Amino acid sequence: MTKKGTGLKIVISAVLCLFILVLAIRQGSVYITLKDLFGIIGGHITGKGTPGGIEPMMDSIFWTIRMPRAIMAFLVGGALSISGACMQALLQNPLASSYTLGVSSGASLGAALVLILEISVPVLAGFMLPFAGFVFGLLTVIAALMLASAIDRSVSNTTVVLIGMILSLFVNGMMNLLSTLNSDHSKQLVLWMMGSFSARGWKHCAILFPVCIIGFVFLFAMSRKMDIMSFGDLQAQAMGVDAKKTKIIAILICSLLTGVSVAFTGVIGFVDLAAPHIVRKIFGPSHKLVIPMSFIYGGAFMALCDLISRTLLSPREIPVGAVTALLGAPFFAYVFFASRRKR
Amino acid sequence: MELTVRNMSAGYNRNEILHGISLEIKSGEKVFVGGANGSGKTTLLRVLSGIIPHTGDVLVGGWDVSSMKRKDVAKLIALMPQTSDMYFPYSVRETVLLGTYASSGNSFFGSDSEAVQYADKCMEDCGISELKERHLDELSGGQLQRVLLARTFAQKSPFLFLDEPGNNLDIKYRAELCDKLNDWASGKTGDSDNTLVAVFHDLEQAKRCCTRAVMLKEGRIVFDGGISEALTPEMLLKVYDFDIGTYSKI
Repeated sequence: MTKKGTGLKIVISAVLCLFILVLAIRQGSVYITLKDLFGIIGGHITGKGTPGGIEPMMDSIFWTIRMPRAIMAFLVGGALSISGACMQALLQNPLASSYTLGVSSGASLGAALVLILEISVPVLAGFMLPFAGFVFGLLTVIAALMLASAIDRSVSNTTVVLIGMILSLFVNGMMNLLSTLNSDHSKQLVLWMMGSFSARGWKHCAILFPVCIIGFVFLFAMSRKMDIMSFGDLQAQAMGVDAKKTKIIAILICSLLTGVSVAFTGVIGFVDLAAPHIVRKIFGPSHKLVIPMSFIYGGAFMALCDLISRTLLSPREIPVGAVTALLGAPFFAYVFFASRRKR
Repeated sequence: MELTVRNMSAGYNRNEILHGISLEIKSGEKVFVGGANGSGKTTLLRVLSGIIPHTGDVLVGGWDVSSMKRKDVAKLIALMPQTSDMYFPYSVRETVLLGTYASSGNSFFGSDSEAVQYADKCMEDCGISELKERHLDELSGGQLQRVLLARTFAQKSPFLFLDEPGNNLDIKYRAELCDKLNDWASGKTGDSDNTLVAVFHDLEQAKRCCTRAVMLKEGRIVFDGGISEALTPEMLLKVYDFDIGTYSKI
C-alpha cells in the first residue's frame, strides 16, 4: 500500500468516525441543529454558558446526557478494540481477546458479589460496582498468568489461553451459582452482563479517559514488538524480543483497559474481535496502524451500536451487547469471507 | 569472538535432551551439527541462542547468553528456527525489516536508513527483491524460506545459527545458499569474523557449506572434527544407525 493511499484511508476513516460521533450525539427523541450543538459545546468549553436562544433543557440533554454517553461509548469501544488487537498478536490467535483470559467473568463475579452482599465503601460512593468488577477482572488475569507460569515456565500461548478458559468457566460457574441462590438480584445481574451506557456521565469519562490514554500510549509504543511477536514466541526471541516479559506487560495493560471498560458498562463482546480484523483488512497487519485505527473503528462502531440500542425501540432500550453482536457478526462474517473468496 | 560451551545440559520441562555438552567454536568457523531425528540438534541451537534454560556455561565472547537481554543476544546471534509461524500477512519487505529490530538504532519508529539499506541488500542477496511487495501468504514454501533467511541475515549478527535452512529450497537455491553462506562467513558480504553453525539433513549440502562437524547422538557429542571425517560410512552407521552399504545395494 502506498503512503498516499494509506493517508487517504486514514483521513476518510477519521471523517467517518467524527460523523458517527456527531450522529450519536444528535439523534434521539430530541433533535438539535448542528449550529446549536456546536454552540452548546463551545459555550461549555469557553465557560460562557448556554448561548442565547437555546433552552436550558436542551443544553442539559445534550451536554449532560448525550455527549458523555456517546464519548463513553467511543472510549469503551476503542479500549476494547486495541486490547483485542494486542491479544490477537501476542497470543497468535485470531480469536483471542482479554475476555479469553477471564477478565469479563472475573468482573462479573465481582459485580455479583457487590450486588448480592450489598457491599458499600463510602469513599467509592457510586463506583463500587465498577471498582469491584475491575479488581476481580484483574485478579482473574493475574491468577491465570501465575498458574500458567507455574505449569509452563515459558508461559506459552496455548497454556495461557487454556488456563484463561478454565478459569473463566470456573468463575462463570460460581457466578451462576450465586445468581441462582439469590434470585432477587438475578435480573439486575443479567442486565449488567449484557452491557449498557445508560446513565453514564462525565465523571465516568473522566476516569476512563486517562486509562485509555495510558493504555493507548503503552500499546502504541509496543507496536513493533507486537509485529515481531505475531510470528510466534520462538521467532520473536530470535529477533531480540523478550517474549515472556512483553506478554505479561501487554496482558496487564489490556486487562486494565478491558477491566475498567467492563466495570463501567457491563460485558460487551464482539467489538474487540471484529474491529482489529476489519482494520487489518483495510490497513494491513502493521501494528503502528492497527492500534490507532482499531481505536477509531472500535470507538465509532460502539457509538453507532449505542445509538441503535437507545433509538431502535425507543423509549425502550436494547442492551448494547446484543446490538454489537447482532450488527457486528454478519458484517464481520461478510468482510472475512468475502476477502477469503477473492484469494 | 568465540563461543564456549562447558558441561552444558538442557531440555524441556523435566525431560533432559542434552547431557554434558562441551564445545569451543572459534570465530569464522563453519560448523555442521548433525545427528538423527531427536538427537538434540535443534535444542542445541536454541540453548546456544539463550532461548532454552540450561545448566553449565554457554559463553559468547565471554558473556553468558542466558543472563543477557534478548536484544543484546540478537545483536550477537541470529537464529533461524526450523518452524515459521505466520498469523498475519505481512509483506516480504516488512518481514525482512523486522529482522533489523535489534541492530537498528531506533526500534520504535522503525528501522533507520542504514538498516533499511542493509535489509534491501539481504533481500537482493537472497533473490527476493522482486517479491518485496508480496504478502507472506502468497508465497511458496521455498520463497518463504528465502524470506526468513533474508530476515536472519538482516539481523547483522556475527553468529548465524541456522536450523535446516535448505528446507523447501530447490536444487538451484540450495547451491546458491551454500555460496551465500561461504561468502558471508569469509567476510565477502562486507562483514568479517562471521561464524556459522547449521543443522542440515542433506549431508551433501553440509559438506559444501561447512568445514567442521559436530555429531550428536542421544544428546551427547559423539564426534567433533573435520567434515570429511564425519561423513564416512562408519560414522553414518554410528550416528544415524544407517548402513549406506546396504542402502546403495538397494
